[in-house]
Amino acid sequence: MNKQPKTAVILCTCSGIITEKIDWDTVRAHLAEHPDKPVVTTDELACGAENLEKLAAWLKEEKPERVVVAACSPREHERTFRTLLASAGINPYYLQMINVREQVAWVTADPAQATRKAARLIGAALKRVRHHRPLVERRVPVRTDVAVIGAGPAGIQAALTLARAGRRVTLIEREPFFGGMPVRFEELFPNLECGPCLLEPGMGELLHGPESEHIKLLTLTEVTEVKGSFGNWQLSLRQQPRYVNPELCIGCMVCAAVCPERRENPWNCGGELAAVDGPFVGALPNLPHVDATRCLKLNGQECGACLAECPVEGALDFGDTIRDSVVEVGAIIVATGAEELPVVPPAFAGKDNVFSAYAFERLLAMTGPSGGELVKGDGSAPASLAIVQCAGSFDDAVSYCSGTCCQAALKYAHIAAAKQEGLTVTRLIREQVVPGINAARLFGHDHSHVVRYGGLGDLTVAETPNGRVIVCGSNGAEVPADMIVLCGPTVPGSGTTQTARLLELGLDDAGFIAPIHALSGSFLSPLKGVYLAGTCRGPGDIREAFASGTAAAGVALSELVEGRDLTVDPQVAVVDAEQCAGCKSCIRVCPYKAISWDEATKAADISDILCRGCGTCVAVCPAGAITAQGFSRAMLRAEIEGVLS
Amino acid sequence: MSCQTMPNAAAHPAPKMMSDGVPGEVRVVAFLCNWCSYAGADKTGMNQLPVPDELSVVRVMCSGRVEPTLILETFRKGADGVMVLACHPGDCHYKEGNLRAFCRAELLERMMPQLGVDPARFYFDYVSAAEAEKFSQATNDFVASIRALGGTAPGRYAK
Repeated sequence: MNKQPKTAVILCTCSGIITEKIDWDTVRAHLAEHPDKPVVTTDELACGAENLEKLAAWLKEEKPERVVVAACSPREHERTFRTLLASAGINPYYLQMINVREQVAWVTADPAQATRKAARLIGAALKRVRHHRPLVERRVPVRTDVAVIGAGPAGIQAALTLARAGRRVTLIEREPFFGGMPVRFEELFPNLECGPCLLEPGMGELLHGPESEHIKLLTLTEVTEVKGSFGNWQLSLRQQPRYVNPELCIGCMVCAAVCPERRENPWNCGGELAAVDGPFVGALPNLPHVDATRCLKLNGQECGACLAECPVEGALDFGDTIRDSVVEVGAIIVATGAEELPVVPPAFAGKDNVFSAYAFERLLAMTGPSGGELVKGDGSAPASLAIVQCAGSFDDAVSYCSGTCCQAALKYAHIAAAKQEGLTVTRLIREQVVPGINAARLFGHDHSHVVRYGGLGDLTVAETPNGRVIVCGSNGAEVPADMIVLCGPTVPGSGTTQTARLLELGLDDAGFIAPIHALSGSFLSPLKGVYLAGTCRGPGDIREAFASGTAAAGVALSELVEGRDLTVDPQVAVVDAEQCAGCKSCIRVCPYKAISWDEATKAADISDILCRGCGTCVAVCPAGAITAQGFSRAMLRAEIEGVLS
Repeated sequence: MSCQTMPNAAAHPAPKMMSDGVPGEVRVVAFLCNWCSYAGADKTGMNQLPVPDELSVVRVMCSGRVEPTLILETFRKGADGVMVLACHPGDCHYKEGNLRAFCRAELLERMMPQLGVDPARFYFDYVSAAEAEKFSQATNDFVASIRALGGTAPGRYAK
């Protein structure tokens, strides 16, 4: 075996706190007889600025190849002493700290025992440091541009926050317009604020304000592939043709007026759109788009009605094609939102005038299918409205509360009653959750009857001489129900599921994107450089969307700073390609997707940028081909031998 | 080595041995994850709660790093007891390393009799950064149980 590296041992008294229990003189006598012949110094307070200078001078003089510091918790001062080593010209990873303060002096009653334990742990550290290797922190430049996937309130807020800081943002939206769900809600709980009025200033800024210079909004666009890692992501994008040139179109919608073709309007859950049209009045960007499946011209028929009437030459562009592009960014903010699951239990299936919450939201809206009139399918006014809350929540399939439906139901009850005098409104509830100071005011305006029901299976719909009723089996209540709103559960949208799959992000039990920590890291995904905002993380209201959009942007701003290279911790796992047997077990267990298969070397390959050094892969590798730098098998074995010798 | 020649803890009660010549002293190694359990051990210190002298802490970044062979090696090198303390489920700093550690611990416990190690000499638990009392209690209880079992004789496991 090679000559033992010269080792220096620093014994800290912590201003006498450690030496109340541990006798460093005894330990020094013990170390004097140690076969490694370490050089030893005792310091009153090793972490003190002046003392660190003295220790640096001592280390420079002694020129040790390894350093053991017996002081306090490495969680507190490992960095301090690594810096000390660096300042003395020693590789900082040649350090091993022994926590004799918290874990020996303060927990051991007998000084002789404490002294002996400290000596034992120092002996183990002396064995361990022999196996330490010089590690170097790598620095890599980062991109500071950000991609935001999803242009609802969370995504808009994130994009604006980033743009105000001068960041270039690509805002990706798969719909032909943006604003997410609340821009289609005419009134928002709890204060019945106008959704478009609340959102459109920001949307306007994004499109036309100074921020617009930094933000590229791509509608009708989806992410098809994601490669790379923190600081250097590559997103492949596919934009469907709009057949309208956004630079030229003035949004007059003359084309829609003259278009002979009609299609259903999915955004309104009712009513019709022309083949070239906007989803509803006020949708932004103020551009129509052509439904290629319905446009007569695009389907080879003789039609040019829109082209003939369009006042701007070139605004309609039937030569438009799919555009594939790649955007390179440092961070990705996922703001893909959630959806209402339109649950229609068998008892309600096929019945007239049954609405999902979203469909009812649109029915109440001035820009909706009825122009805001509360009317049944036949155009007549309802005499009664039954709002079934928790319609599908708290069931086997969706076991959780969606958090927003109670307030939404109170809002519907209020707005519907205001729209039609004498309307009987009943809310069927299973649970009632209305938290918050403002939300509680909704109760003050609630004039609906409240019936508690057991579950959707408990409800049937019956015709009586006095009109249609919902019969509640468990208590026999008959709820007048000319019009029925089923408030379905909030579930992950297809966009959220698809984006999670592309980024290989884990999902929680309900299928939303699982954050790195439900409480302290709810804006962070487990992938560094991928941040979460809005309801892709679970049900939430618009307040939560704005807050989380700002938060995600804030984290992106703080983690990716122009000119601040990424420091890669060298205490990561590395694969010895020669030793790798190719079982790929490590790829499966890595929580960070840091391990990939290298076809060239036929071995696993670990990205040092993504690896966080947990060592789970090391433990699982049957070939022993992976080493956790800083916590290698040799280091741990030596330490174990040390504490047992 | 066949099963027949493997030393069996139950068949051969270990004589009480010691390290450093102190009668009755046992040697227990505790693998603590850096984020929860090691922080919990630190908190135990801040609260001045007792931790047995016989306990030696080996810090790892994650309990998921501690593979069963490392635990068996620790026994083989002469430990009388081994603890692995992890973050609570859901609190893992590395998402799920603690759950992998738990699964491995379950399997290892089942294998230990076959390998000639009394499963009572192994202890897996969750200790958070806040659970100073739990850390103190768990380490004291475990070391006391190992004291009751007695130390394992040197050379009982082939080197």
